[in-house]
Amino acid sequence: MALEVSHVVGGYSQIPVLKDISFDVKDGELVGLIGLNGAGKSTTINHIIGLLTPHKGTITLNGVTIQQDSQAYKQQIAYIPETPVLYQELTLREHLEVTMMAYDLDHDQAWATAHDLLKTFRLDNKLDWFPANFSKGMKQKVMIVCAFLTQAKLFIIDEPFLGLDPLAVNDLLQLIEDRKRQGSSILMSTHVLDTAQRYCDRFVLLHDGQVKTEGTLSELQAALPEAGESLNDIYLSMTKVDRR
Amino acid sequence: MTALFKTRLQRHLREMAKYLRLVFNDFFVFALLFLLGGLGYGYSNMLKTLKTGYWWAPVVALLVLVLVAQIGRLATLIEDADRVFLLPKERAMHAYLVVARRYSQGLAQATQIVAVFLLAPFMSVTMAWPVLSLVELGIAQLILKDALLRLDLASAYQINGQTRMNHWAIKWGVSLIILAAGLWTLPLVAIVLALVLDVAVAVWLAQHWQKQQIRWREQIKIEDNRMLGIYRFFNMFTEVPMLAGTIKRRRYLDGLYKLIKPRHDHLYLYLFSRGMVRGSEFSGLVVRLTVIGMLLLYFVRGEWLPVVLAALFIYLIGFQLLPFFQQYDDVVFTHVYPVLPAQRLKSFVTLVTLILGVTAFLLWLVVVIANPHVLTAGITLLVEVVEVWYLARIYTPQRLARSIEIRG
Repeated sequence: MALEVSHVVGGYSQIPVLKDISFDVKDGELVGLIGLNGAGKSTTINHIIGLLTPHKGTITLNGVTIQQDSQAYKQQIAYIPETPVLYQELTLREHLEVTMMAYDLDHDQAWATAHDLLKTFRLDNKLDWFPANFSKGMKQKVMIVCAFLTQAKLFIIDEPFLGLDPLAVNDLLQLIEDRKRQGSSILMSTHVLDTAQRYCDRFVLLHDGQVKTEGTLSELQAALPEAGESLNDIYLSMTKVDRR
Repeated sequence: MTALFKTRLQRHLREMAKYLRLVFNDFFVFALLFLLGGLGYGYSNMLKTLKTGYWWAPVVALLVLVLVAQIGRLATLIEDADRVFLLPKERAMHAYLVVARRYSQGLAQATQIVAVFLLAPFMSVTMAWPVLSLVELGIAQLILKDALLRLDLASAYQINGQTRMNHWAIKWGVSLIILAAGLWTLPLVAIVLALVLDVAVAVWLAQHWQKQQIRWREQIKIEDNRMLGIYRFFNMFTEVPMLAGTIKRRRYLDGLYKLIKPRHDHLYLYLFSRGMVRGSEFSGLVVRLTVIGMLLLYFVRGEWLPVVLAALFIYLIGFQLLPFFQQYDDVVFTHVYPVLPAQRLKSFVTLVTLILGVTAFLLWLVVVIANPHVLTAGITLLVEVVEVWYLARIYTPQRLARSIEIRG
């Protein structure tokens, strides 16, 4: 079991946003984290990557918690934020080198991977550009390239599909597929439900800081028989219950 | 639209007044008065030694006038959001720009008048010009400046990609031609030429502004640059929050980074060194303080004063470098990368040691050049070494260790 979130209560201040959340992501699994704006998706992710410390509960990654060994814990994670964040003073080439240094990757081998990725995302002629010259989509691609450069066990991808061109979305899904086959796990939050439905193995439906339901699409359909067939329908019915 | 400009102008003037109060503090005004008095006295003394008929006198006058004619840019006070929010009001923007130009005239034309006034005694001594000719030349200068500002305005309506009619070469060119004509023939000729230019631009503008789109992006960039220049000036005296700092590639310094091997434990040294060199905020500070320190030490004599001053400047620089440690705190990867905070601190200490070491060496070099005492040089070196060691290796980690604990 790669990632195990168990009974996590947490948030930015003393008032908890997450109210006792538990779910897991197994090896070679792509789990979709689904929820409305403000449901607690980003807060959950921030807890997993170690930006926030839970008030209660534990987050374990292949048997290690961040408190036990932050280095060993963080070494296993690659993160793609929703809004691209880059070092303003570094060129694309230097961003890649920083990633290699941070994850202690073999220089030549990592560059070979990097060149493939850069070619895929059509960034190979922009190695000496500064972030200021990149469009939003390009910045997102830089984030993807940096993340998939690593040999991380767990990829955390926050809303990857908005802002990417269809070609890049396709390439990203292919990359995710490849890594899954190599045994890595992926936790992905998204609002693009039809894509999520097609590619995710399991879903965690968050609502108001709680896990509403969890499982494969057929499990969700069985749990909410009158909701409808698609993930979209299930998701909408789940939010409607709350609105009444 | 004119009302919009007026509200913006009020806000702008309030902001400028705030900074000017800080710049012109009592001490600075005092120093400035002395400086101006000294310069005035020197100028009048120099005039007494000059005679009529130097061939270079009109050349000097020409250069001064051409240079002064470039002072005073078109202040549009356009903001970035305008290209979205004011786009539907594009035609009405013309009235706004006309008012903006009228406002810009004030400071620009005052500068011209002062310059011609200051130049007048020089010209009457060396070129034996009568007062009437000088007045005529002054009028020509005013009309020329009017035309140049009109060029700034008109170029906003040129087709994108076209060479702007207010390109610096054009402005310098027409100024040179018109003023040279005035200086070597008759000032009246300059008046006529300047008028022709002014009218020509006005006619072009009248024909084009209703048909052509404003070059929004470029106008915004020009205005941003203008404000940046003003803020940079104020930044020499006080902190300006609007000055986020610009980033320059500085490719010629790439060789420096080669010394840092891309190893895991060098991650932050790699990052910090590039951020320091390419960002203008901290490197500018270090360079400015070092240069001021070197200048000061060059003119200071004594046994102990240089030691104290050198120590003071190193302390100032070392102290101001501390916030750079937090430069990347808002980049999420600073927290996500599997790198221990201790390594980050170690890299920062290395960087501070390096910067202070170079600064200390430069200051010491000036002390050695300026002072013949071997003892002073020796003591300075000793004090500097101890200070750099203490500041970088002991004080910095102590201070920053606390901030790491708090932020995690």
